[in-house]
Amino acid sequence: MRRKAAFIVLAIVLALLLTACGGAKNKAGGGAGEGGFQGDPANPVVLHILENDTAKAEGYLQALLDAFNEAYKDKGIQAVDANMDEYTDLAMNGPYGYGPDVLYQANDQLMRYAEDRHILPIEAEKLDCYASTPESAWDAFKMNFDGTVYTMGVPVNIQEPMLFYREDMMPEDWQTKWDKDGSGIADFFENWCDLYAYSKELHDADPNKYGFMVSMNNLYLASPFMLSHGNYIFGEKDGVLDDTDIGFSKGDAVSGLWALRQFAGQMNEGCIDDTVTLNRYEKLADGSYFCAVSTPDTYSLFLNNLTNRYKQDGLSEEEAKEKAVENLKMVEVPARMPKSGDLGQDSSSMTDDDWTETVVMGGVNGYGISSYTKYRDACVEFVNFATSYDMLKLRADTLGIAPTRSDVAAQCGDTADIIFKSLEMGRIYLMPSIKAVDQIWVPCQTVMGDVAKDPFREKQGEAPKYPGKTELQAALESIDRNIYDAIHTLAG
Amino acid sequence: MGNSLFVSALKSRSPRVRASLCVMGLGQLLSRQWVKGLAYLSALAAFVAYMALTGARDIVGFFTLGTVEADPWLGVAGDDSIIMLLRGLLCYVIILAVVALYRSNLRDIMEIEHNGAWGGNAPGFISSVKGYMDRKFYIVALALPVAGVLVFNVIPIVFMILISFTNYGGDIVPPKLVDWTGFDSFRRVLSLSGIKETFFRILGWNVVWALLSTAINYFGGLALALLLNKKCVKRKKFWRMFPILAYAVPGFITLLAFKFLFSYGGPINHYITEAGHSAVGFLDIDAGIKARIIGLGVNAWISIPTSMLLATGILSNMNMNLYEAASIDGAGPWQQFKKITLPFVVFSTTPVLITNFIGNFNNFGIFYFLRGGLYMDGYFLASDTDLLINWLYNLSIDNNYYSIGAAVSLIIFIITSAVSLSVYIRSNAYRKEDTFR
Repeated sequence: MRRKAAFIVLAIVLALLLTACGGAKNKAGGGAGEGGFQGDPANPVVLHILENDTAKAEGYLQALLDAFNEAYKDKGIQAVDANMDEYTDLAMNGPYGYGPDVLYQANDQLMRYAEDRHILPIEAEKLDCYASTPESAWDAFKMNFDGTVYTMGVPVNIQEPMLFYREDMMPEDWQTKWDKDGSGIADFFENWCDLYAYSKELHDADPNKYGFMVSMNNLYLASPFMLSHGNYIFGEKDGVLDDTDIGFSKGDAVSGLWALRQFAGQMNEGCIDDTVTLNRYEKLADGSYFCAVSTPDTYSLFLNNLTNRYKQDGLSEEEAKEKAVENLKMVEVPARMPKSGDLGQDSSSMTDDDWTETVVMGGVNGYGISSYTKYRDACVEFVNFATSYDMLKLRADTLGIAPTRSDVAAQCGDTADIIFKSLEMGRIYLMPSIKAVDQIWVPCQTVMGDVAKDPFREKQGEAPKYPGKTELQAALESIDRNIYDAIHTLAG
Repeated sequence: MGNSLFVSALKSRSPRVRASLCVMGLGQLLSRQWVKGLAYLSALAAFVAYMALTGARDIVGFFTLGTVEADPWLGVAGDDSIIMLLRGLLCYVIILAVVALYRSNLRDIMEIEHNGAWGGNAPGFISSVKGYMDRKFYIVALALPVAGVLVFNVIPIVFMILISFTNYGGDIVPPKLVDWTGFDSFRRVLSLSGIKETFFRILGWNVVWALLSTAINYFGGLALALLLNKKCVKRKKFWRMFPILAYAVPGFITLLAFKFLFSYGGPINHYITEAGHSAVGFLDIDAGIKARIIGLGVNAWISIPTSMLLATGILSNMNMNLYEAASIDGAGPWQQFKKITLPFVVFSTTPVLITNFIGNFNNFGIFYFLRGGLYMDGYFLASDTDLLINWLYNLSIDNNYYSIGAAVSLIIFIITSAVSLSVYIRSNAYRKEDTFR
């Protein structure tokens, strides 16, 4: 009863807020950024903005603050760097008067705060970016409180694992031999069976070379094997994520894990732990790996390693960099995964029904407004400004991110546009926006690493732990059980 | 003692004693001990004001742990259960301090009465203080350290103990209100299927680990010190530098380096594969005993330099005549070590040995850095190399079960304190303190 009353009061407060913003919009004829807040220019309110370290290091935050302060100097708002750790805990600091007014975080992190109401609901439709941001990105920040859905954050950019490869390691005859559908894209970038076949071909020709490499124990990077076969992380109940329904073992998940086990056999033991994650830049540069999975923000690391390699070969700095840029490519992971999980099949004999669409894990970063701010309207102004076309374009140009705004994504080149389209098409499984997501990593990491080790057990003459799908299904069920235990067993 | 003081004061017919019994400092004022009387009276007034303004509320809050849940959206500040628990605890500490002050007030007025010094003949405040400092210097000298221990050690431990009797953690974190749940956390640790087995399994390994690692580190350090003490060893300072260098590198850097060393992509596996063999999973899920042995070895690498330095210092105080006499009596090097060196070193280092045992029992870093991030079959959110402290971390930090974590901490505390106290009390270092002086 008391909760109901609280929500009625909340609804009234939100309605009042909405009315206030609406009035401002009418007066100014613009978005939430105009007319919503009017302070004293001689004595401006100060907003503390928490951004990530990369935005600070690359100078984007300063550019954003300068632009905002210039634009809002007559409105009595000043934004400053919160000067806090990028992972500062709002739940611990906010209630005691510390912490930022506006914070930039990944959706799972922001929504952890939202669950305990440490961040404020936002009237998304009043923001300039609303119409140009896809519904799927907004969904990452939606939360259902007793039947009412609130938007708790404003999307800025999307992340997903990408495939980095060396163009010079493509087979010379790829257009005739590896482009069976004549799409102009090599088959091994279109489906996992051909990527497996080409990896095998490379490794058989030279045992020191490998095709596709990834740390198989990394749920985020190896997510195509864990999320492409109708399984899920948390189910939904009445439109709300249900952390009692854990679905890593559901659907035909076992086929994905079978594919993981099979592909691990074409890699080296480095795929069992985080060795590949650590050495992928160097090994791609020295030609040991043809392609490796990583996030778009690591592009510069691959590029620098490749440039250094060319410099060692005697090229000048400029020539080396130019050659590295030409040779290093970034694409999405292959879009088609065999339904059966058997990567050894001949793709040319497979029909559309034999494939399932690859799903990768991704995240949406965005802005949230602290519940403990004294200037919520001013914060809305800031968020609106920071997610405007110009600022997101600057952010994408400076930091190489894939923006969630369709108009910016269209102007940012192939990668941003491709990621954006994948999000719209549902190929990116956004990290669930609940606290319980913290508990999925270790159980998955344990089982994925153990399954990836199985081919090496066989090579050493040991009995495999997962000889068939029955054992793999049991392993997937142990993941679900461990996650459930971590969330619920001790919860009282 | 406290009761007899109070009973004596009650039985006293002196109006001054009865006055101090009723109002702290009043008897002193009636005895014309103005400064002392006013000091006691001021303390009482401050205490009454504190209780009226916040203390009474803090006591109530300690029991309820809050009644109004905060709602940041509506600007409802609400109650913070953890702060209320802390404030309640602080209030009890203040009450205890005032009770102690009240007893000193009674003792003081009884002494004045006993000495018949109430008619203005009593010593002045300053001379009283001087007299007290002279008679009870040990109390004055220890007051500050004891207060420090109370504030920085005892109160946090009591706080942790109290947390273990609540449901703090999981979904119950501020702004949600925490409740007292009695022994529920202990019941869950010791009775829930899976958790109970994990607890005893980890406890068993934890005891083996603590004993083995303490012994390896201790005797490793002693052996190294004895070796570098040998006359035949040239450039001793140079050789001593190496273990010290290993010690000087921050522990977690060393651990990460060892993790890399033993990983699939590390140099050890590089040479193994170069030699035509298959890579070995030294620290992976199948590692089993290998990972435990590596843990013991890495811990020895980090800890032996400390033991070596300690043993070197102790050995420098050895009476060399004992060895000479032993040699004349025909004792060989092993007998000399067993009968002279070892008893002397063990006697001097028993407290350090106990500290090392507790340190190793609670050695968090080794397996967290070497082999963190594994949950194994048969273990509840833990792996076969995790120690209780690692499991505690998995439960309380990774999974936010603070009350369960506190309960496990309390169990660890009981085990380690029981072991260390019983070992220390039975040791020669305690029973024959003067033997080697």
